[in-house]
Amino acid sequence: MTTKVINTGAVGLKKKKGFFRTLGSQYQLMIMSVPMLLYVLLFNYAPMWGWVIAFQEYKPELGLLNSKWVGWDNFKFLFSKQDFLLSIRNTFAMSLINLVFGTVAAILLAILLNEVRNKAFKRTVQTVTYLPHFLSMVIVVGMAQNIFASNGAANDLLVGLGLVKEPVFFLGKGEYFWWLVGAINVWKEVGWGTIIYIAAMTSIDPSLYEAAAIDGAGRFQRILHVTLPGIKSTFMVLLIMNIGHLMEAGFEIQYLMRNGMVQKYSDTIDIMSLLYSFGARPQYGRGVAAGMFKSIVGIILLFGANKIAKVMDEETLI
Amino acid sequence: MTAITVKKKGKRRDVVFPIVNTIILILIMFTTLYPVINTVAYSLNEGMDALRGGIGLWPRVFSTEAYESLLRDPAIYKAFGISVSKAVLTTLLNLFFTSMLAYALSRKEYVLRGFITVVLVLTMYINAGLIPNYLLVGKVLGLRNSYWVYIIPTMFSCFNMIVIRTYIGGLPDALVESGKIDGAGDIRCFFQIILPLCLPVLATVALFVAVGAWNSWFDTYLYNGSKKDLYSLQYLLKMKLATTQNQSNAAATSADALAQTSKVAPVTVRAAITVVSAVPILVVYPFLQKYFVTGMALGSVKG
Amino acid sequence: MKKILAVLLALAMVLALVPAVMAEGAPELITVTVFKGDPGDQPTEDNKIYKLIEEKLGIKFEFEFLAGNLDETLGIKMSDRDNLPDLFDGSNSAEMLEDGGVLIDLLPYISEEKTPNLYKHIYTDDRIKQLLTEDGKLYIIPNYGINYNQEIKDYNGPAFHIQKKVIAWNNYQVPKTVDEYFALIEKYIAENPTTEDGTPYTGFAILCEGWRHFCLINPVQHLIGRPNDGEVVVDINDPGYHTETFIDKPYAKPYYKKLNEAYKKGLISRDTFAMNYDQYIAALSNGTVIGMFDQGWDFGDATNSLNAAKKYENTYLALPLLYDADDLEGIALPSADWKVEEHYVNGSVMNKDRGAGISISCKYPERMVELYETLLSDEWQKILQWGIEGEDYYVENGRMLMTKEQYENRSNSDWQRANTANAIWTSLPKKQGTMDDGNAWSPDQQPEIRNEFRSDYDKDFLAKSGKTDWIQFFGPVTPLAPYGEAWEINKGPIQDDVDAFLRIQDEQLPGIIMAADDAEFDAKWDAFVKEVAPYGEIYGKFMNEEILKLVALVEGK
Repeated sequence: MTTKVINTGAVGLKKKKGFFRTLGSQYQLMIMSVPMLLYVLLFNYAPMWGWVIAFQEYKPELGLLNSKWVGWDNFKFLFSKQDFLLSIRNTFAMSLINLVFGTVAAILLAILLNEVRNKAFKRTVQTVTYLPHFLSMVIVVGMAQNIFASNGAANDLLVGLGLVKEPVFFLGKGEYFWWLVGAINVWKEVGWGTIIYIAAMTSIDPSLYEAAAIDGAGRFQRILHVTLPGIKSTFMVLLIMNIGHLMEAGFEIQYLMRNGMVQKYSDTIDIMSLLYSFGARPQYGRGVAAGMFKSIVGIILLFGANKIAKVMDEETLI
Repeated sequence: MTAITVKKKGKRRDVVFPIVNTIILILIMFTTLYPVINTVAYSLNEGMDALRGGIGLWPRVFSTEAYESLLRDPAIYKAFGISVSKAVLTTLLNLFFTSMLAYALSRKEYVLRGFITVVLVLTMYINAGLIPNYLLVGKVLGLRNSYWVYIIPTMFSCFNMIVIRTYIGGLPDALVESGKIDGAGDIRCFFQIILPLCLPVLATVALFVAVGAWNSWFDTYLYNGSKKDLYSLQYLLKMKLATTQNQSNAAATSADALAQTSKVAPVTVRAAITVVSAVPILVVYPFLQKYFVTGMALGSVKG
Repeated sequence: MKKILAVLLALAMVLALVPAVMAEGAPELITVTVFKGDPGDQPTEDNKIYKLIEEKLGIKFEFEFLAGNLDETLGIKMSDRDNLPDLFDGSNSAEMLEDGGVLIDLLPYISEEKTPNLYKHIYTDDRIKQLLTEDGKLYIIPNYGINYNQEIKDYNGPAFHIQKKVIAWNNYQVPKTVDEYFALIEKYIAENPTTEDGTPYTGFAILCEGWRHFCLINPVQHLIGRPNDGEVVVDINDPGYHTETFIDKPYAKPYYKKLNEAYKKGLISRDTFAMNYDQYIAALSNGTVIGMFDQGWDFGDATNSLNAAKKYENTYLALPLLYDADDLEGIALPSADWKVEEHYVNGSVMNKDRGAGISISCKYPERMVELYETLLSDEWQKILQWGIEGEDYYVENGRMLMTKEQYENRSNSDWQRANTANAIWTSLPKKQGTMDDGNAWSPDQQPEIRNEFRSDYDKDFLAKSGKTDWIQFFGPVTPLAPYGEAWEINKGPIQDDVDAFLRIQDEQLPGIIMAADDAEFDAKWDAFVKEVAPYGEIYGKFMNEEILKLVALVEGK
């Protein structure tokens, strides 16, 4: 890999020599990082031999060496299924909605909290808003299903306010599913998501606010010109990482909220992967193939987002 | 808190905004608080009655049976101890290694920076699958049926490393430069200069790691399922929940109306488990929160 | 000096032999790891039955219960072949273990001389033929389904249910056809639209969540007169055992049309199709659902809740319904001479491929077989099923009985953890039916106990209906077909087609039932049949082949 920045100092020397000499002088940094590199290579990269299962009809009792090789068959199977292709769309859509609304909500809440002067109130709000993070998804989805039922609170509200004439069949129409999932996710995780942004806001130099105030900036301008730029690097980095995760919409919430009527919208890659791999005769190869597909797409998205950020002269991840 | 006297036009905004802000935040708090209180209400309701649903902010038929069914088992206390020690150890080790790595990778002059960053970041996007991981950690490294399977594989997390690295990147370059001029190597710079300034982000990451370790049951499920002395709290609670769900089905196969003594329902047990798991975190939380909410005055750095 | 030493030495040698001589009777203590494919509670350290087993048989158990996904867990465990659990119960996915070659063949260990109990258990009536796998091996001895002497019939299977109070309101007249059933529900709701606290009744609930979708998918086979064969009907009078899926056939349409009519009349709510299991149980527990098609064990929680609240009149009566003669007029049935007769209750099926197997990494296979053998004896079966005489039950005039307290203990999970060996008992072969002296093997089936602990409401209800037990609402027991019950058949080879087959039903049946008018209903139905029939064809053909194989095994070809 190319090194990012060559330190001033080793000018004029041949590159190769300069590299090793610089490296040598950076032995302390190496002590701090190389052991962990090896650790990661062991725990994260060594098991990657498992990816060959995607090309096999793997049976645990036969092991890796004795299971039958089937080449691209597992991939061909997956991509021949219309339900699987739909699941790619579903996963992507839900991830995107979660990303956009989740990030916006987290930042908005962080800004609102940042403007609160009273420390006690600030801490209280912050604590209370992150409580839903601890509720299990089973409980949360159960509540959501009660709220969005035809005779549930949401419909009572909508009909009561006159916004709709008849109760809406939220849970039975696939088109609503992605938005319901988005709403639930945002609600559950917004308090948690703001924590990072709040921590980032604390590192903004207070004198910048003072300077802006002196220059006549009002509250909203101060937010716009001091707070937001102050968290920009955090935001960019998180954004790039999350773009890489767009194939990971998840499993639990969709699995709990799905039903037959909406299955063409609700089923994610993970759900279909589970369906195709398990049964009276498990097909592990398919599950691994789906996982491999997700990873590769994720990495492409990651590098793509990173490149765009670099081109736009923003903070990059890598 | 707010400027009440409104003299100049510019100042008027100062009154409205905090009020509106406060109202909005209170509304948000209400939406997040209601379901939590509802869960607590369910946990304090009698099981058979709770099955009917429809409980609001208060239990309809008060009963502590759900908690009793959980806390009656002496194994709970051992599991609690295991989870606490695992959370503490994991957090300390993880914070140490992750922050050290974050510092190293924040040094733009480090020649291996790009390479290592890529290798680490990629780990967030690749997953070899359950069976290879199980065979490596459980069989090859022999961590099955042992306490160390909770600690050794969790000493580093890339996401947290990125968060810390970004934070360090936001600190003035002058800090480390002046330290180096004074003759300190990177290791000293890290421990003496940077680390103390990172308390907000360290508190944040500590929270993430601690909660993750506290909530995890998957590691017990994969590796320590048959060693009940090593069960984590979450795993034990999960098993208890599964048993209540199973019991009612089994009992029903023996027809007819029977007096149902101590019949806790999954609904209340699930709620009680949520409360029991969350309480320890909520107890620890304020201590960490004060670091990342209040922040630190950076004025001292300038000198 | 030397003499003293010699004496001491001799003494030492004699003393050294003493423990060996004394231990001659007790077998060496071993610890056996057991994996259970179901969730469960760890027994207490001082559990009296496990102590007894340790004392008499020298075996101590270390249990692991299921925590996550069953298939996933089994896969993980199977990947480490040197460290399998000694006793391995794969619950509903035990075939994975058999196919995976991780269990030992039990046949060589079983013989009339060495293991008389086991021998009698599996060889009587040539049962063994149905238990062998295709390669002639026996990996698992069924944990349920083998009866001794008189079989005692209980029915907890698929049926149409209706609240008992509705039958009481109808002068104890029970509906016999689907039309009568829905007419009764309609009539009741017309006169009693809400419960006492004002909640409107739901006429008929259909649970569609996940694997419980059998409530939506299964009824038709029973309506034309077959017991539960899963997703197919089989013509047992045909020498070729013609098999077909029923959901895509003309005789399925009338049932869904009736559901559509009920929906249009407001007896079925559209939320039923999105309802999750907790909501279903809540509705039943509140007494707001008049009727549903389900299996008794599936809504056990609701039954318990209603009983605990003493709302006995809201508990459900199971009924066998059939199609009316005119429903099927002009419609082709599975065979030309097909008779529509009630066949809900089937003969007892052996729980094939269910129970604990002994894994290949177990170091003491003979002792495990010995464990099975000993625990299958009459003496031990009494202990495992009834408990200790005097503590858990008493005997009067040769009949085994229980006091109220003893009986209530059985549903107390804390008491169970200290006083029963259910964890191991549920996985091992057991005796069911009647003992040689006439007592029932299972206390829950002992007539005196059943009758004594029934609620007064139920006693009254039965009396007014002219019956002494619930199963009398059903016709005579159907003799079990030679292939057992078809849902037990391992569908591994056509798994993908079965998955697709079921997914289409999950998706489209709700829409069909909610059709706004006849035109929409017909259009949706035809589209549905078109999409699902090809899978049905594959499914039916496969099942037919498997059934013929099973029949050939039993009839000894």
